[in-house]
Amino acid sequence: MASAGSGDEKAAAAAMITLISSDNEKFEVTEATATLSQTIRHMIEDGCTDGGVPLPNVTSKILARVIEYCKKHATAAAGEEGSSSSFSDAAFLEVDRAFLEELEEFDDAFLEVDRATLFDLILAANYLDIKGLLNLTCQKVADSVKGKTPEQIREMYNIVNDLTPEEEAEIRRETQWAFE
Amino acid sequence: MASPGLSSPPASRSTLRRVPSAASNAGVLPADVLFDVLLRLPAKELCRLRTVCRAWHSLTVDPLFTGAHAARNPLFVVNFRDDRTHICVVDLSGNVLKRIPNADGHQLLCTRLDLACVATVSNSCRMIDPTTGNVLALPEIPAAEHLNLENLREPYTCFAFGRTATTGEYKVIRIFCRPTLTGFHEPHLFEVLTVNSGSSSSSSQGHVFAINSGSSSGPSQARWRARWNSDDLYEPGSAIVVGQVVYFKVDTVFDAMICGGVNPGIPLDCIHSFDLEREEWRGILHGPISGIFQTGEYDDDLDDYRGLWCDTTLADLRGSLGLVHYRKFRHIMDLWVLRDFDSGLWVKENIIQIEPTFPTTELRVKSLFMLDDGRIVIHFPKTGLLFIYDPITNTSAQAEMRHLDAVAMYTRNLLNLQVGDMV
Repeated sequence: MASAGSGDEKAAAAAMITLISSDNEKFEVTEATATLSQTIRHMIEDGCTDGGVPLPNVTSKILARVIEYCKKHATAAAGEEGSSSSFSDAAFLEVDRAFLEELEEFDDAFLEVDRATLFDLILAANYLDIKGLLNLTCQKVADSVKGKTPEQIREMYNIVNDLTPEEEAEIRRETQWAFE
Repeated sequence: MASPGLSSPPASRSTLRRVPSAASNAGVLPADVLFDVLLRLPAKELCRLRTVCRAWHSLTVDPLFTGAHAARNPLFVVNFRDDRTHICVVDLSGNVLKRIPNADGHQLLCTRLDLACVATVSNSCRMIDPTTGNVLALPEIPAAEHLNLENLREPYTCFAFGRTATTGEYKVIRIFCRPTLTGFHEPHLFEVLTVNSGSSSSSSQGHVFAINSGSSSGPSQARWRARWNSDDLYEPGSAIVVGQVVYFKVDTVFDAMICGGVNPGIPLDCIHSFDLEREEWRGILHGPISGIFQTGEYDDDLDDYRGLWCDTTLADLRGSLGLVHYRKFRHIMDLWVLRDFDSGLWVKENIIQIEPTFPTTELRVKSLFMLDDGRIVIHFPKTGLLFIYDPITNTSAQAEMRHLDAVAMYTRNLLNLQVGDMV
């Protein structure tokens, strides 16, 4: 888990980056994988990744998951680029579709985590600025809220309703159109 | 492990986007994550969820949040094909936020405003506040100078609707077309109507447009004013308002001449325009395409040129005039943007692949909008389908939306509505 995917032939040739989690575990990843994170991309551009990139906000458990996501999506992106030049249009579309389906399956499986992990992933995606991962995880939480009543949401997320009945009535009055 | 809960966002809004302090915090969802999550919910849902707790309420009324939400969730007013007696406020996910009765036959004008306007070809035009559902029917009687001049036996009207930059007034133009039996027509009758918003107009938040339909004071007293009609032949139905200028394509008669093998003597991508604030016509604007014909880009044959009138659509690209050139047989559409009116400087901003995404039956674009994030919304006339083009990935995808007859952008931020705005 802590080393780069050895099955990836390109890995040997590609530049490697070392990421260091908050609990001091080191992860070696290809630059292509690491630069899915805009935060790390900027650090690489600024030339300050020698000796590893410390990520004091991300634990090894979460970082491993994040790297798993980035590896998959970096491979998919590279695969798509490679195929566009070497396949006819129809074949390209076929490959394209297969890639997308595989990615979607991967994403679905990736989201099968408990709520605490999901929130940690959101925080890590936010901090590392990984757009796709942030979108994926936030959408998952947003979907869980969609269509629920305020009471159901409070129950789901252990939220205490700290509004007075008067305030609640006032807010309901202000947003009447949403209840039509 | 105990079921994790959502933490309360900090009281201070300035800390909303702070860098998370500790990533592994036993599943507590901090404010900036809540920010990112709630950003992905439709406006209607968010308003409903303001009663969850104080923290959710203060986050979702915060200008930082409402602004980000509006940029991410642009709203449209649409005519659905299967529901012609309503207009609806929708988002790009196809959620219908509001349905407003709309008499059959009234077509939505292609605007980008905080109001909508619907009209028929038979001199009926109504302004609609999509939030309140208030409707203002504009007077049908012509301007005094035009009494008895309009073609009442065959009423044929075109409308355009915009807002002036400095005064914030809404103005509608009406054009009475007067076709004759010969196929040519008498000069159009051109009129302008000012509709005062009746409130301190341009305060950015909580601006209320109150249309008092049926009231004896205010807008219903407004009168159409006759304005000089351009000597140049323009196509009234092609009107699009960008900023405070109404733009028109040249008259279809020129297209007919080309089809008949006659040199029309005017480039088909010329554009006529009328300034709503000064209420006067501006000089002829030359389009970007005819000038580069017979250069390498457009090949030596004139296939691209013959269909030029039908292939082009005017559009509002975030405040700049856009010209869409749908080059079906080249499999691309060009998106030109006017950078400077006086020098006639056009820039080709995007080249969008038509295949394999867009419906093969479509030969042109009906309307096109650019969103704040640069994405482009494309509406097709035959299928009524809506597509979203992302210039970053250079891909297009179909929006999940029922078939549409007409689309307008709706610039009102629903999260900022005040009590007085409600029905």
